[in-house]
Amino acid sequence: MDYSAIYPELILALFAIAIPAIGMVVKNSKYLAAISLTGIGLSMLAVFLFFYNGTGPIEFDTGLLVLDNFSALFMMIFLCVAFVVVLASGKFIENEKHVPEYYCLVLLATVGMLLVASAQDLFVLYLGIEITSMSSYALVAFRKKDLRGSEAATKYFIFGGFSSAFTLFGISLIYGLTGVTSFTEVGAAVAGLTDMKEMLWVALVMVIVGFGFKVAMVPFHSWAPDVYDGAPTTITAMLAAGSKKMGLVAMFKFFLIALLAIKADWEIVVAVLAILTMTVGNLAALNQTSIKRMLAYSSIAQAGYILIAIAVGTEFALTGGIFHIMTHAFMKGGAFIIVATLATVAIGDRIVEYKGLAKRSAILAFAMTIMLFSLAGIPPLAGFDSKVVLFSSAIYGATDGSEWMIWLAIAGIINSAISLYYYARVVKYMYVDELEEGEKSEKLKLPTSMLAAIIICVVAVIGIGVWPEPFIEFCKDAAAAFF
Amino acid sequence: MNIPLEYILVLSSSLFVIGAAGVILKKNIIVVLMSIEIMLNAANINLVAFSTYYGDTTGQVFALFSIGVAAAEVAVALAILLNLNKQKKTVDIDEINLLRW
Repeated sequence: MDYSAIYPELILALFAIAIPAIGMVVKNSKYLAAISLTGIGLSMLAVFLFFYNGTGPIEFDTGLLVLDNFSALFMMIFLCVAFVVVLASGKFIENEKHVPEYYCLVLLATVGMLLVASAQDLFVLYLGIEITSMSSYALVAFRKKDLRGSEAATKYFIFGGFSSAFTLFGISLIYGLTGVTSFTEVGAAVAGLTDMKEMLWVALVMVIVGFGFKVAMVPFHSWAPDVYDGAPTTITAMLAAGSKKMGLVAMFKFFLIALLAIKADWEIVVAVLAILTMTVGNLAALNQTSIKRMLAYSSIAQAGYILIAIAVGTEFALTGGIFHIMTHAFMKGGAFIIVATLATVAIGDRIVEYKGLAKRSAILAFAMTIMLFSLAGIPPLAGFDSKVVLFSSAIYGATDGSEWMIWLAIAGIINSAISLYYYARVVKYMYVDELEEGEKSEKLKLPTSMLAAIIICVVAVIGIGVWPEPFIEFCKDAAAAFF
Repeated sequence: MNIPLEYILVLSSSLFVIGAAGVILKKNIIVVLMSIEIMLNAANINLVAFSTYYGDTTGQVFALFSIGVAAAEVAVALAILLNLNKQKKTVDIDEINLLRW
């Protein structure tokens, strides 16, 4: 038992438990946000110390939880997402009831994500996913008087519960087949499996369905736009940038460690699902009138790009997948937080309301443009770099017998071109369209804390975009630690 | 007397299918929630059965965790449902139609 492997989780859990108690005394949302930020900061420090000391992987217990380059990088990504979300929430939920519970649940959801990042065991992975899911069900329903939020939460827990039942049944079958639960042991046992292949396929289908719902993979994506639309916008940012990425990390572990031996059986399925996911996501985003729904469909499409990493399954592809998860966390989180900021100054989520935004608030219009162009993959922004790594890994992966992988790259590039249309449409509304007589045109007064959160995202997107080498190195180390 | 493993697997798979059918076909959200619980319990039966088969306690311990998770899930789900029911006097899944594309 080496507790230093779970310091980040422990610190966050401690703060999550303390915050409702502190909330008895401190009622102000901003102070509570500051306390949560302290917790997240300390947790980041623990992860940073791991990188700084360079002691190598720390195992909590053999085959349960491990803190290595892979899990530490993902912890950092999830903690950054939580940091930005909490920073923006301080103002966003100022006038709501039950503020302490909000921060408690955000921190608990993050604890679940960290557990998934470091899980080495099927069961720990399942528990981590459930901690995050349950906190987010409650967070989506946070506004008790808001009917849309309640309906979104209802849909979310029905789909979420249904998918966890599939995941759990799949896990139980894998446990039954192999008799072990840690990923590496399962991987070895699956490689040596001679009979009962049919049962493994049943388990494989169950797991694909279960995780497919979690990462909103087509054809299991129908819940995502509704939930993202109905949830409070800061929570939408967390769902899109954090909890969906958690599902992808879980899929990495499942497919690329535990089920790697039977890759030939599932690679085509995952590849087809990846292409379907990106195409359906992008096509559905084209004619959305609500910016939250548009971004939700775009995030379905982005999950499709990341699935390429699983279908190709090389170390290089995993580097690309991790890198794209990192950049996507900042750009999608940033975009949703801009939507949340505009909601505090009474600009709703219909895209037409963004008309003439450049005149009303130059900085927000600029930040939104950066996020959207990065999502579309325009150089020199972060989204471009990560797409280059991801798509080129598919091309390099296409050797004898796997020429089909080239189609993944082609589909990804065509889809990026399609997606530019709906991203550019928003930019056109903000910069080109003139305001008509009688429409509101005064300058916007924006809350500083939310602006700070947005600036962090903008700096990250431009910084990673212009100077990608060190980040790619981090992702490479993570991918090397993973295999 | 030992019950053969196949019997238990048939039981658990049937329960899982019954639960999945309930989630897809039923209109009442409370019944849907109960169906999800049936599915989770099917998986728990599997875990305990395999654990006994291998003579290894991991599966049984995890089944306990999983029961705890399922209980928490019901608590959260019922709270959300109660809140929905307060605003819109219904538990019919077809009337949850505000969010559409």
